[in-house]
This record gives sequence, structure tokens and C-alpha cells, in this order.
Amino acid sequence: MAVDMDLEALLRAPAIEMAEYPPKMITLANGKKMIVRQADIKDVPVLLQAVRPTLEIPRDYYDIVGARLYAELLGWYRHRVRNEYCLVGQIEGYLVGIVNGRMVDKDIGMSYHTLAIDRGLRVGSHLFAAKMEYHIEILGQQEVWITAESPIGFRRWMIEYGLIKQEGVQHELGGASSYKLTRDLYFETKPRLVAGKRPVSKRFLDEAMDKIMVADEDAISEKICGVKGR
Amino acid sequence: MRQVAIIGAGMIPFGRRDEDSLLDMLAYASLNALDDAGMGKKGVDAVYVANMGAGILQHQTSVASALVDRLSLIPAAADAVENGPASGASAIKNGVLAVASGYYDYVLVAGGEKMREIVGWKATDFVATMTHPEVEYPYGVTLPGMAGMFTRLYMEKYNLTRDQLIAVAIKNQKMGALNPYAHVEMIITREGIVDDPDSVVNNPMAADPLHLYDMCPVSDGAAAVVLCSLEMAKKISKKPPVLVAGFGQATDTHTLQERDDPTDLKAVTLASNQAFEMAKLTPKDVDFAELHDAFTILEIAESEHAGFFKKGEGGKAVEKGETSLGGKFPINMSGGLKARGHPVGATGVAQVVDVVFQLRHELGKDRQVKGAKTGFTLNFGGFGNNVVAFVLRRAE
Amino acid sequence: MTDELKITAYRCKKCGRIHYPFHDRCLDCLERDFEEIKPEGDAKLLAFTEIYNLPWGFDVRTLKIGVVEFSNHIKAMGQIQIDDFNKLKTGMKLKTFWEPVRVQAGEDVFGLVLR
Repeated sequence: MAVDMDLEALLRAPAIEMAEYPPKMITLANGKKMIVRQADIKDVPVLLQAVRPTLEIPRDYYDIVGARLYAELLGWYRHRVRNEYCLVGQIEGYLVGIVNGRMVDKDIGMSYHTLAIDRGLRVGSHLFAAKMEYHIEILGQQEVWITAESPIGFRRWMIEYGLIKQEGVQHELGGASSYKLTRDLYFETKPRLVAGKRPVSKRFLDEAMDKIMVADEDAISEKICGVKGR
Repeated sequence: MRQVAIIGAGMIPFGRRDEDSLLDMLAYASLNALDDAGMGKKGVDAVYVANMGAGILQHQTSVASALVDRLSLIPAAADAVENGPASGASAIKNGVLAVASGYYDYVLVAGGEKMREIVGWKATDFVATMTHPEVEYPYGVTLPGMAGMFTRLYMEKYNLTRDQLIAVAIKNQKMGALNPYAHVEMIITREGIVDDPDSVVNNPMAADPLHLYDMCPVSDGAAAVVLCSLEMAKKISKKPPVLVAGFGQATDTHTLQERDDPTDLKAVTLASNQAFEMAKLTPKDVDFAELHDAFTILEIAESEHAGFFKKGEGGKAVEKGETSLGGKFPINMSGGLKARGHPVGATGVAQVVDVVFQLRHELGKDRQVKGAKTGFTLNFGGFGNNVVAFVLRRAE
Repeated sequence: MTDELKITAYRCKKCGRIHYPFHDRCLDCLERDFEEIKPEGDAKLLAFTEIYNLPWGFDVRTLKIGVVEFSNHIKAMGQIQIDDFNKLKTGMKLKTFWEPVRVQAGEDVFGLVLR
């Protein structure tokens, strides 16, 4: 698609320079190693491919989360969302989860979505924790604003982190109540919720960086909904 | 009293079955059991349906009447049986008594529960309605909470270790991964749930000192068996009939606090002893067991209270591999509640179905207890306040 | 807040067994005559846990639950309110209070609180 760069100059928002998320490796309950790393904007088409099947999965609000994440990633790719980032989880190169958010300003982070493709291994929890780690420890922000669109999200974020409800504050995702994670709360919860080791050994990092592999659509649906009618 | 045999056993995969209603699941499992028994279009005289919470969870009552209608088994007698998480074994016991008395010739027993259509913490609340409504429930105590208190006392009294509990979890999830009916098909490793620092997040505390992987999942599922007299079974059954050699049921105080020794699961011991006495067997005569491991501690405590191990020895036996396949006394080769899942009304029936599969030698090498002749089930209601045990034998 | 514990236990007039909660007949001798008694003295911690996956209806992250025995042998469950769970030990003495333990239908439900 031809892009009119004169118009683009008007439409594209200036971006804040964002520090890079240093990759880490997390050992999961089944002993497998998940690499969490920052996705590049060039990775977006392959991420969209993984998100697409979720648009048809109403279970646990995957359709809503998937549709909005799809739009956010596309918005990032086409430079329509300001200061957006995306972290991915990979096991043996395969994409198992995606989280994203953006920097509102130097102090406030806006958490967008958490999508786990492999379920039952706390992939979503680990990736959400990595997102909080990015905002607070790497970007050095004071607080992260969070909302939940599913009961699972509410339990995992609001309850497990003990997030602070923000009366009268509107989260960018609209709708549900807005909560926040402060620096103090992050460091208080970090020992029990933030996992992973750095640096990642060359073998594992090379495997992850080489290519984001995506399971086929049926396999993704099956991973999310489970097999045997689950 | 007539001797009673199981001539049909059926189950559906446990897990989260959004597409199926409770009645769907009960019907599918029943049809599997009726087909397994080779009943064809032959009816049954009575149907017993085990279910704990359709009235709360589905806002539906009279599930037994609904099931006979659904299966076109009218005018069979139909009764629903509710005994908390031991509803399944209670329903089978009632079916066995009905056939043994000579009043009914063919009985279908189905157990089912649909727990995943409500959010987790509402399911936790539903299960907690088993606790005493005045002196326990208001405090927010849950069944995992009861198990946590029990575990700490058991650790203090019998030197039970966390490693022993972990060994149960790893063993049962390994077996569940091999069971096509199991809810949880995921192998877990010691590294991932204990040794690696990341395990703090993977396996968080759930009810101190029990962790996430000490707990069974919340599941949907159903299972069913068909019963008739042993004499009839020998004539009509194409598969080896399984004799209900003995059963027992015992109760204990509603609250743990009123037990003289809260680590003593008296109802487990009494129910097991009754079952052995009726079968004229001892624990030494049993080849394997399906125990009610809603929490890892329970597999160990039940194995001791039922008489398979001395008190304080059950945990060591798990660690030494004695309760694994190929060990001296395999326990929960189905994956147990820990991995097969725990749709409360279905569990007691599913345990019996799994033992029937074992006794008919139908399982693959990776789960079959070699030459199994006698199996044992224990279905644990409340926190040990209503327990049902069976001794089942392959009828030669 | 009140420190008067609204706990009534029942001592069998024949064999002396203490019941809490109420039973229509004695657990030991099946007699039906009971004397109402109130908890007395210290509360000794017999069993305890901290629950992380709470049932619907609680707006806190965890609940600490324990069973205590009073000097006159009444045993009762209560909510433990202490900052550091690791300080709890079987056999330790706790102070008792009668305070809200949950909210149901917008109303406080009172119960045994241990500190």
C-alpha cells in the first residue's frame, strides 16, 4: 500500500525513546523454558497471525481480548498508537503468549492486554509480571494503570497483586474500573509474582530471536479451548 | 443377598465442557456404560444419579428423573443421591443394595457434575457449602483450607514432608497425561514446581502448607456403571464381570474440631474395614487402589487409614515409588482426582470405572497394573465426615 | 466491636462431653440434657492455615483461619488477624474478639477473631 509520507507526518505521533526490555528465561511447571523478550515492530504480521484465531473464541473473553490486541498491534505497526511495546513468550521458538502496553508519559504506564496461547502453565501470569517489570524496573515509571476484561484477569491482576482502585480515573481501554500498580506495590509483590533469570544463554536466545514460530490456527484454538471438548 | 457385578462401565473425558449441559454429560456417560454392558435396547429397572450441586450450580433439580427421560428408560425407578464429593460411591452403594436385595435386576448408576460454568471463586464457595453453616462457613474456610490445617497437623505428628506430597503430585499428573479421560494432561517436574526459583510463581501457596499443585482441578464430567447379579452377569456379559466384593460407608463429626484427634480419619478406617470384612479380604489381598486425592495429603493419609501402609509410612512409600506403576501397590493409575479431575458428583463413579478398566485388563501398558485381580476405591465426602469404600474383584 | 464472644457450647449433663456446635444428642452417651457454657480463659491454637484462593464474598487477598481451644475445652474456628503468618505456632495463645468476619447481603456477619 502506497503511503503518502506528507500526510503520515501529520498522522504519526512523536514517540518517546523507550529502553529495551532485556530478555529473560522462565522455567515453567512442566520444566520447559519460556523466553520472554521484546517483539520488534517488524514482528507484528506474525503476531497478528497468532491472534487471529482468538477472534472466534468467546471462551474466557478471548474474542474481546484478541480483537482489541489485534487492533493495538496493527495500530503500533501502522504508527497509530504512541509509545507502544509488545513482549512475547516463546517455548522452543513457538509463540505461547503476548502482552502489550504503552508509555503514557515518563511516569505512567498503560497496560493493554495479556493473551496466553498455551494454558495451564501460568504463561499469562508470567507475561503480565514481565510487563509490570518493564514499566517499573526498565522504564523506571512510577505507576502502571490496569483494567481487566475477564474474570480470570480480575483474579490474576486485581486480587493477586492487590492493585489499587482508581476512582474517577479512566483507563484507555474504557469500560471497567481502573486500577494501578505503584512502584511500592510492585516491589512488595515481586518476590512472589515476578520470575525469570538473566542473561539468557546464547542457545535459548538464538532459538527465540531466530524466528517467532506460530502454531496453525486449529492448534491455537485447541490450545486455548483444550482438546476433548474441554 | 445376591452377589452383585458390574457389567458395564463408561465415562466421558473430564475437563471443561462448555458445550455440554449436565444432562448431556450424564447421558453420554450412561450410554457408554449401557453400550459397554451390551444392553442394546434392553431397559434397566432403576437409575441412581449421583450429583452434588445441580440445584445450586445449574438451578436444576430432579436430575435422576431428567436422565431417565433423556435416555428413554421410562418407567425405570429413578433416584438422585447427594453425599457431597462422595455422592458417586454412595449412589453405587445404593444400586448394589438394590440388586443384592433381589428387588431390581438391572441398575444404572451415573454420576456427574458441571462446575466450570461458574467462576473459580464461586465454585470454591459452592464446595465450601459442605462445611458447617454456623461455625465454619462464615469464616471463609474452604475445603483446601481444611486440608491445609490437616496437613500441618499430619506433618507434625507423622513427620510427613513436602517432598512426599510433591511425589504424589508428580506421579498423578504423569498418569493423568496417559489417561484419555483425564482433565489435566500435563506432566509436571520437580524442577518446575519446587527446585527452580521460578517455581515460587508456578506453584504458589494455596492453603498453607499446601501449594497449587497439591490441589485437584475443578472439572466437568460424568461416569456411569451398569449393575446386575453376578449370576446373570456370568450368563450375559461378554467382558469379564467385576464383582462388588465388599463395600463400606462410615461417617464422622461434621467439624474437624470435634474429633478427638483431627489427624485420625476414622470414617476412612471404618468404611475400609467394612469393605474388607464383607469381601473376606485384607488390604494385603488388594493389587491397587483409586484413592480420593482431592489434595495430595489425602492420598497418603487415606492409604494409611485404609490399612495399605502403617501411619507415617504412606508418604515414604510414594517417595520410594511403591505406589507407582510397577511398584508394590500402585495408587491412582488414572491420575486420581489430581489429574483426572474432580467433578464432585462424578468422582466416586469414575473411580469405580477406572478400577473396572484395570480389572478387565483393558488399559495400555503404561497404565495397566499387571495381572490386576482386586482393586479398591475410596470416595471421601466432606472433610472425611462421610466416606464410602469398595473392594472390587475380577470375576473368574 | 465487642469482646464478648457470642459462642455457646453445650456440656452433656451426663458424661461431661463438650459440644460446639450444638448436637441434639450427646456424641458419646446420646443423652439430651446439656448445660450451656461460654468460652473461658486463653485460646490455644490447635490448627491453622492461610487460604489464598478465597470463596466468593471476600474482598481480601488471603484469609488466615485457625481452630483454638479455650481453657474450658471449647474448641472453635476463627479468623486469625496477624501480619506475619510465620509467627503462628501450634499451641501458642491468642487473644479473642467478636468482630465482623464477612459481609453478607450488605450486613456484617460477626464471628470469632483471633489475634
